[in-house]
Amino acid sequence: MIDIMSFLITLGTYIGIYLILSLTLTLETSSGITNFGKTAFYGLGAYVGAVIGTYLPLAMYGGGFSPFDVNGIQMLLDAGRSNPIMDIGVFALSVIVGFGVVAALGLALTYPIHRVGSALVGFTLLSLGEVLRLIYLNTSALGESKGFMGIPSPFAWVKDPKLAGLLYLLVVLAFVGITLLTVSRILNSPLGRILRGIRDDELVALYAGWPTVLMKARILALSSGLTGVAGVLWAYYFTSINPNMFTPSLTFNIWAMIIIGGLGSIAGGIVGTVLLASVDYAMRFVVPYIGVTFITPDYLRWIVVGLLMIIVLIKKPEGLIPEKPVVVTLGEYGGGDSK
Amino acid sequence: MRVVVEKLTKRFGGVVALDDVSMEVPSSSKVGIIGPNGSGKTTLFNVITGYYTPEKGRVLIENGNELTDITGWNPNEIAKLGVVRTFQIPRLIPSLTVLENLLIFYNYNKCASIEYTLRKKWLECEKKAVSKATSILRDFGLLEISHKKPSELSAGHIKLVETLRGLMADARVFLLDEPFAGIESWMARRLIEAIKTINSEKKATFIVIEHRISELLEGVDYIYVLHNGKLLAEGKPSEVINDERVVKAYLGG
Repeated sequence: MIDIMSFLITLGTYIGIYLILSLTLTLETSSGITNFGKTAFYGLGAYVGAVIGTYLPLAMYGGGFSPFDVNGIQMLLDAGRSNPIMDIGVFALSVIVGFGVVAALGLALTYPIHRVGSALVGFTLLSLGEVLRLIYLNTSALGESKGFMGIPSPFAWVKDPKLAGLLYLLVVLAFVGITLLTVSRILNSPLGRILRGIRDDELVALYAGWPTVLMKARILALSSGLTGVAGVLWAYYFTSINPNMFTPSLTFNIWAMIIIGGLGSIAGGIVGTVLLASVDYAMRFVVPYIGVTFITPDYLRWIVVGLLMIIVLIKKPEGLIPEKPVVVTLGEYGGGDSK
Repeated sequence: MRVVVEKLTKRFGGVVALDDVSMEVPSSSKVGIIGPNGSGKTTLFNVITGYYTPEKGRVLIENGNELTDITGWNPNEIAKLGVVRTFQIPRLIPSLTVLENLLIFYNYNKCASIEYTLRKKWLECEKKAVSKATSILRDFGLLEISHKKPSELSAGHIKLVETLRGLMADARVFLLDEPFAGIESWMARRLIEAIKTINSEKKATFIVIEHRISELLEGVDYIYVLHNGKLLAEGKPSEVINDERVVKAYLGG
């Protein structure tokens, strides 16, 4: 019998992290940034979190252990169980540095993105993700193919694993809330309308006087920073990461979520994410029971996602919840809003 | 706003699209540019608005009391000086309504910054913007289409909205690229009236590219003729259309 409570906590955390990724992707696509490199930003965030979460406690405790040998990992586990202040401090630092580093990467990428032109942005970012993955795979200080283990959860000191999971879920949901607030405030505003203009016809926005490249740079920096936070959350949730978690298929999974939900629509993105992340998660349980050994869970998942996408796009080409005009509530003015 | 074009030359590989073209457009005048296809009219707009950088020559625009050299500036910087253009194939933002298409031309300044947006401090700006857009739409009889998307509009309405974006941006130079092409004559009349109104009330300068000479003659007070990238003739409309060289350039032979 599966423990329902633990199941819901795990599913909730999983969906929560994906929600941050899909909400930021909605912000990016609504601003004319074709981001096929979600993995790059997400993975970098996770690695920043893992580096801080392992090297820092080991340095504090001394002994010169490496995070990749058994003694080092054992030391991390022990330290995590006994030192709440360190657990939470290291986690908080990771979130802040993760946001900063990944946001800086987003900002720095604007230059090459601008140079290659908007049609090739997707490919530039896609290849960036692969380049970063290959760097992780070949850097001994980052654990090569094994990656990091023993990243201390901020609630590693909590005795009851269920309670620790619940506390972590609340932290994830808080960041989902921050992301949702950020994305919805930007999209439902004069700025959001201008960003849509840039997305649909950048030249017109430029002729309207908007510094379109600079505006996209700022948006990419902000949403990349939040994507980096999602990476940190993943690293501290799973407590071990490796390069193969950050393949391009992850990026396209998030794209599938927002396409099924409705491109440019926040509510649609949320529905698509909850739907696909749940399907994804359910597959892990269902597949072993079907008894078909020649189909791995991964393949079956892609078949199901592909089918869902075809069905939704035939029945509702604009997604489950299509994009709406930018509704700006003006209070008493004009009897309501400017819809 | 006065617009001065000095000896502009723009090449595309071996093709000389503009060859030593000079023009002097006085403040709050209405000037027409005619010429056969491929004579460099749209290229001239693209150079004035900063889309292309010329190989030679300068573009100067009156800014305050002096002329500012805007050659090599970015399109958004030139737009900020009060220069707005329309396109041969009209370009409204397809996913936005007519009202919203005007709103994105409003100068939101800080109200469109990320900081103000996250703190929801744009309400006052938005009120001003909406009331300005609404009054423009009312003045030009377009209030009933304000919530329609561009795909639901007639060609004439699209051209009119595209021109009115300039009013929203407080433009003082309007560059109109074939505003009368493909629209019915009654709509063309409405557009001419709009141009005249904006010209007299806002003291805005108009530079209009057009093939429909009859409509153009009514609207403008001076005409330049381009042919193969060169300035072929200039003068008052009545003089220009009777000019032998112009007739020859248009009819060939």
